[in-house]
Amino acid sequence: MAESLVLMAQTRPRSQRRPALRPRPRRRELALLVLVAGALIVGSVSLGTTRELLAGGALRLQAAQPTQLAVYLVALASAHVVQVLAGRRTDQILLPTVGLLGGIGLLLMERLPQNLAGSVFGDALGLAGAQLVWLVLAISAIALLAVVVRSDTWLRRYKYTWAAVGIGLLLLTFVLGSESNGALLTLRLGPISGQPTELLKVILVVFLAGYLSEFRPLLVEQSTRLGPLRLPPLPYLVPMATMLAVAIGIVVIQRDLGAALLLFAVFLGLVYVATTRISYVLIGLVLFVIGSYVAYRLFGTVRVRVDIWLHPFADASGDGYQIVQSLEAFARGGILGTGLGNGLPVVGGRLPIPAIHTDFPLAALGEELGLAGILAILGLYLIVIERGLRIAAASADDFRALLATGLSRVVGGPAFIIAAGNLKLIPLTGITLPFISYGGSSLTANAVVVGLLLALSDQGVEPPPPPLLAGRRGRWLGWRAA
Amino acid sequence: MARMAGGMSQEQRAQPGRAPRPIAVAIVRLWLVLLTAFAVLAAGAGYWQVAQAQDLVNRADDPLLVAAARHTARGKILDRDGTVLASSRAGPNGEPYRVYASRALAPVLGYASSVYGTSGLEQAFDAALSGVSSADPVDALLAKFRRDRFHPEDLTLSLSLPLQQAAVRLLGSNRGAVVMLDPRSGEVLVLASTPTFDASGIANPSTARAAFGAAAADPGQPLVDRATQGLYVPGSVFKIVTAVAALGSGAITPSTRYAQQPAAETTGLLVSGFRVHDGHHLFTGSEELDFARAVEVSCNIYFALAGLATGGAEMTAWADRLGFGAPIPFDLPTAASQVTGGGGSFGGGFRDDVELANAAYGQAETLVTPLQMALVAATVANDGVLMRPHLVIRRSGAGGVTLVAPEVWRQVISPDVAHQIEAAMLQAVEGPDGRQFTAGAAVPGIPVAGKSGTAQLDGSAQPHSWFIGFAPATQPQIAIAVIVEQGGDATRASPIAGQLLAQYFALARP
Repeated sequence: MAESLVLMAQTRPRSQRRPALRPRPRRRELALLVLVAGALIVGSVSLGTTRELLAGGALRLQAAQPTQLAVYLVALASAHVVQVLAGRRTDQILLPTVGLLGGIGLLLMERLPQNLAGSVFGDALGLAGAQLVWLVLAISAIALLAVVVRSDTWLRRYKYTWAAVGIGLLLLTFVLGSESNGALLTLRLGPISGQPTELLKVILVVFLAGYLSEFRPLLVEQSTRLGPLRLPPLPYLVPMATMLAVAIGIVVIQRDLGAALLLFAVFLGLVYVATTRISYVLIGLVLFVIGSYVAYRLFGTVRVRVDIWLHPFADASGDGYQIVQSLEAFARGGILGTGLGNGLPVVGGRLPIPAIHTDFPLAALGEELGLAGILAILGLYLIVIERGLRIAAASADDFRALLATGLSRVVGGPAFIIAAGNLKLIPLTGITLPFISYGGSSLTANAVVVGLLLALSDQGVEPPPPPLLAGRRGRWLGWRAA
Repeated sequence: MARMAGGMSQEQRAQPGRAPRPIAVAIVRLWLVLLTAFAVLAAGAGYWQVAQAQDLVNRADDPLLVAAARHTARGKILDRDGTVLASSRAGPNGEPYRVYASRALAPVLGYASSVYGTSGLEQAFDAALSGVSSADPVDALLAKFRRDRFHPEDLTLSLSLPLQQAAVRLLGSNRGAVVMLDPRSGEVLVLASTPTFDASGIANPSTARAAFGAAAADPGQPLVDRATQGLYVPGSVFKIVTAVAALGSGAITPSTRYAQQPAAETTGLLVSGFRVHDGHHLFTGSEELDFARAVEVSCNIYFALAGLATGGAEMTAWADRLGFGAPIPFDLPTAASQVTGGGGSFGGGFRDDVELANAAYGQAETLVTPLQMALVAATVANDGVLMRPHLVIRRSGAGGVTLVAPEVWRQVISPDVAHQIEAAMLQAVEGPDGRQFTAGAAVPGIPVAGKSGTAQLDGSAQPHSWFIGFAPATQPQIAIAVIVEQGGDATRASPIAGQLLAQYFALARP
């Protein structure tokens, strides 16, 4: 079959102009989306029925907010249809996976008090309404990027411009930003507010992928030796290290430690993949330990975070409150959970965890869906990561490979950092759970990531296949190199 | 994994002209690392959701329990005569709130507030009072969502409300504490700490904020229970601890006299180049004091010498047997009393013999809680047997009645040694020279044994005024410790002890 492909490519040479759009069925995506829709409908009915029961009503099956769920499912279906119509051979697993994560997030937001949003926009629509708007925008962005992005030149060529844009965004926050929870994160422009660090991580990945792929041959050669250490030629490291240092520096100054940790992890991962030198990773880890120690000594917030992490039960009603409440929520869930809508006991009109919709959604899901639900959610993130790395491994050149690797780290990294923080495996840092946490910036940034991954998964622009072969070939699409 | 690696080799085969791509291998390794990281997450979730779940859901601050407990009236707290000290009243929104019989009880009972949580005995016995603890674990899991799962217990305390109120009244506007306990059983009758605060106000949701704000802002720190948590320089009352160590270890006998002691009263006792001064009982002149006389006139030089003879290690060891060195196991949290700041190499944690000599008469780095000093007196009173102190004597609920029996903590000293110290303490109150320090502690018709103390503080601050003792000296029924913070000399604390002892016997004699 591969030969026939090559043959076709020869007999029908790549045309100079864009090929006409030609629908291409995406059966696997469709099947998975049907499963996702089924799961979300079951979840919604479970939530609605539980609510009615808790309010003292009779046992009557009913969906919670059926309109919202319908809108969301239509958005997912539309994204699917748009991709079918565009006829590209892109990954078919990512959209359903992300769709399920987003849907779980939507159900969670429907279940939480609607006044949690805390912004003009959020108060008007309610927590779930606002999240739905962002989700629809995110799904649209994914579909748009997956269909429209056919060349990566605009990312590849202007890496320094992107770096400048990223740093500029951060500086803008620094000047105009407003503070919450000791962190300077939010940029407000009129009624719209956003967190630029969410976009910065995508931009940093674009820059690093461009830089590392361009200088990879040079970086792999060991020209500098420092005792037992083999270092890359130092001059080539300088711009990269500078960009990273500026980004992390600004993020640390803004007290956004989760983002700093993420940027550093993404950086180390990309440097390793680009150079395959474990020594660079070790050097990076040593630097990380030193940096953490310095941060611990310098910043009171870091000390507090670490102390809370080590001894949360020592001050369970004060500093350790959120993490203790988070662990208790996980514990209440047990193996199978209390069921959607049946957890999070409200005391005195308040939820046990104030930041439940942004920083602790996993604790809420751990209570209501249990260990089984947590494992499923972790599995979904692993699927996203695996698809990203698979796309990276199958990429035709280094830039695309590094870009895809970095992008999948940008989704997997925060998921790990916040989940580990919620579970008291590492100190808690404020960072969102991708696709589940409430918030437009996070959803938009992650949608850009998934959209780019989808675009990268296309094995290059090819002439449309003859109708006879289309069905069978579809099964291999995500996989074989062109 | 295998599929992925397979995909790569396939890819490599498909491109035989190009070198193998290390980047793909690195990506596989990165995937392995991430897979491991997520496996750790899964293990973490399993740890909290399965292994630790039982302990976590039974924590008192679990909101499920808090929510359910808000609708359940807590158990009552009664004093030894059955007087209700704390009870629950139905609030306007159906949620019960707590009412307390007297402000004098606040530092002991604490408060149970829907706004500020719990403190004091309400906190220490939260599980019993709210009824959480009586449900067995399996039932607790099944009955998670029932509201009637709570079976609150009533607590009866050994506390005596009239004596407690009298103690607070006698302390008046002074900061201070009084502890009274039965040396034979360890039952605590008075645990007073001043100033007190408005616990009922904090418990009532409509006044909680104002009442808590007032208590928290009070410079007298009423929220701290001085009787169990206050750490004070003991001064001369600590000489009884030194006596226990010196006589108990055999370093001195009741007839031990020191030839250099009379002269040192005027010149000071030279210890390693540092002079220990006394000179507050010049009327004894050239008399070489024996143990009882040294207690009677509260001779610092004698106890410095006795402490040096005992040695640092023995001093600390005997003090620890009396309860020093660790929080006293009690129904309320207690602070640990200390003989020395510790860390020194001289023995027992002392820096040098100068610190030991000063500690032996209660200065240096020695810090004690009033409860600890009451236990010292009680040990002497009870023939050297230290009973474990306790407040709760009876728990009654749906599951039946549990009585808390007296419990021997440890035999600290032999009855003989206890009687020797007892005789000296009797002389300190009733003897002709002792009276001038402790006159107020005497109770007509009842022999009182005791020891006063004037604890010197740094700088120009007034000294703490102390008294510890017990009565009747021959067959002790009640032991007492009184401290008046910066109350001047011992003549402040002794009369408070005397009046409380008198009231105790008036109440006991119906």
